[in-house]
Amino acid sequence: MRNNPRIGWLLLSPTLLILLVFGFVPFLYVLFVGFNEWNIFAAEEGLRFSGLDNYRRLVFDEDFTTSVQLTLKFATFAILSELILGFLLAQMLTRKFPGKWFFRIIHTFPLMVAPIAVGAIWRLLVIPGFGPVPFFLDRWFDIKYQIGSYPDQALWTSVIMDVWHWTPFVTLTMLAGLSSIPREPVEQAKVDGANRLQVFWYVTLPFLRPVLLTTVFIRIMDAIRTVDEVWMLAGGGPGTRFTGIYIWRVVFPRTDYGYGSSISLITLYLTIVLCWLLFIAISGRRKGEVE
Amino acid sequence: MRKLFISVMFVVFVLLVNMSLVSADHHEWWADAAAPYAGATIRGVSESTPPSNYVADVLAAQFTELTGINVEFETTSWDQMYSKAINDMEANTGIYDFVYIEQDIIYSYLAQEYLVNLTQFAADNPDLAYEGYDESAFTSFADYFKNADGDLFGVPMEAFVKVYLYRKDLFEDPDIMAAFEEAYGYPLAPAENFDQYRDNAEFFTAYGESMDMDLWGTTVQGTTGHPASTYEFLESIGPSFGLYNWGINLDAGSAMSANGGALDGDTAVEALTFWLSMLPFAPPEATSSTWDEVASSFAAGRAAQGWVYGENAAWIATDESRSAVTGNVGVRLPVTAPGVIEAAKMGEGYIGYYDGGAFGVPHSSRNKEATLLWLQFIGQSSVQAEWAAAGARITHTATFDDPLIAEQDAKVDGYYTLLEEQGPLFAGAPPFPFHAQVREVIDPFIQRAILGELSPADALSQAAMAVDEELSRLGYGM
Repeated sequence: MRNNPRIGWLLLSPTLLILLVFGFVPFLYVLFVGFNEWNIFAAEEGLRFSGLDNYRRLVFDEDFTTSVQLTLKFATFAILSELILGFLLAQMLTRKFPGKWFFRIIHTFPLMVAPIAVGAIWRLLVIPGFGPVPFFLDRWFDIKYQIGSYPDQALWTSVIMDVWHWTPFVTLTMLAGLSSIPREPVEQAKVDGANRLQVFWYVTLPFLRPVLLTTVFIRIMDAIRTVDEVWMLAGGGPGTRFTGIYIWRVVFPRTDYGYGSSISLITLYLTIVLCWLLFIAISGRRKGEVE
Repeated sequence: MRKLFISVMFVVFVLLVNMSLVSADHHEWWADAAAPYAGATIRGVSESTPPSNYVADVLAAQFTELTGINVEFETTSWDQMYSKAINDMEANTGIYDFVYIEQDIIYSYLAQEYLVNLTQFAADNPDLAYEGYDESAFTSFADYFKNADGDLFGVPMEAFVKVYLYRKDLFEDPDIMAAFEEAYGYPLAPAENFDQYRDNAEFFTAYGESMDMDLWGTTVQGTTGHPASTYEFLESIGPSFGLYNWGINLDAGSAMSANGGALDGDTAVEALTFWLSMLPFAPPEATSSTWDEVASSFAAGRAAQGWVYGENAAWIATDESRSAVTGNVGVRLPVTAPGVIEAAKMGEGYIGYYDGGAFGVPHSSRNKEATLLWLQFIGQSSVQAEWAAAGARITHTATFDDPLIAEQDAKVDGYYTLLEEQGPLFAGAPPFPFHAQVREVIDPFIQRAILGELSPADALSQAAMAVDEELSRLGYGM
């Protein structure tokens, strides 16, 4: 019975069915809509086949290309910061220090907050005229902090907000990775005279690679589709009009379903390509080392 | 004398008995009419505004007590409200039994045939027609929600104009008045032209700075992350300069001056230039402010004058728990360019935005009958006065004469009188079936102009081109 593939497929079938109905079928539908002009408020009702027009249009759409650039910038800085901070915090949590249990509880709190609430909290913190952040930055450092007036400030605030929200997740995955590293290779390296940096680079990091890869993939996918918290924070104005928010604007207020579908698919494609390149980069280096 | 007293008392007694009988009759009618639907739940969605919150907090409970029909009413953000309503109606899911229809979106909804013809539906269901509900009692604002045959598709629930508010305590302070006159050479007063508006704004900003007060010269609804900035420019500032219908010529299918539009014309550029020049005199939150934040800023006493949606006028002027400027709010018509008021009086233009909305029943509703009762309940005369006092909205002609409104009018510096007498000078949004689609196209250019990335002329020129492309794509262009 344990080796009977039929039972395996039978047990898998509910999951496969759900994936088919709620994942694959909608994907095919979006693919189909992307080849059509479809706006419910157009003079002519219904879908009109337009071939690759939507894809041609997005190549020349400055708003879309800008949103991709902004998203990549946001994802790069947010994820890099989260990885570094997450690793350092995980390292810290492998050691004993007073109040460790308390810190461990407190530092995971942001993970429990819904993204829309995170956006609301940060908006209340940074809104000029009411929030404490602009008030004290102005009073103490004479810095004019207005996310509505300076797109760069809006972008960096989004990055910091994302780091605040998701670093605990990276810390926990890193902590799991660090906990699973056997002590022997580390001790062996130290006996062989390796310094802390060499131990990290040649022992810890190779052992952490699978965890690192998984964490980076999850965070890339999350960062590229970020909408709710940034939308709540700055409404997707200049500086925060990321691809997810741009898609939302095209699909919902503008009801341009055909174009919105094509952007969604291209964004999915970009996400897959980005993850694939990272996979090649990280796993390729490991292959080289083995050889 | 004794006989007279007894006679008066008798008449009063008869009137009271009669009123209580009529009231009991009405209660009975609602209970009887709603009997088949008692226990049902009708669901609605609206933007969170003072009038909507009154519906959620007061009217819904009264209706449920009277009829046994439960009302679940979501008051959410403006964006979410549209998303939820349109998705529900488009997908025909029937989640909502009534939806908020803002005046500017009604043309899109009618074009898509999303809504039930309420006049016809009531005529088809005479048992549900409440005699205390009369479509002719509504102000002319209800006309926006009618088709060519005069049938109503939404029961008006709020109607107000965007007015010029100013702080009387500042404008009438003798020291401040003297300082202004010394600086500018003429007396301080609520603005009647754009030069005066600018002087006021500049003066109070400098005054706030010199006195170390959180005070600026004007509000600006200049958010760079929300369509509210586009709306303030196109619906309030533009018309006050003589730019009408968003500068779009529907007949020509164009926004470009070269093709009969006006969005990139001199008037539009002048209007945008003026509006942007007010940003340095606005509180720092201006570039993050939608209509809600503008009202909050003014209520917090952070602006000396500004363009504020009238639905907020009542609470800003009277609600001490939310406003720091109660009793000090002055209300005037918004500033206009020469000739604009005259044109509006002749019906050849308008001076600002007559905003508001109605509740309509989507075709997808599964509780149309119960919802018709609900809409008649909120549309009847007896609930209007208190609602108007709380939400600074008036949808019934008779409400203007209600003693409660007369009392409130005095507290809000004649806002209700202004709404009644000068309301015809304002207008709702143009009858575009592509309202949100085109506004979404204009938004980025207005926002970039606010940030200073584009000059007013460039922003409007590029916006007009983008509008023409979108109109062409939607099938309404040249």
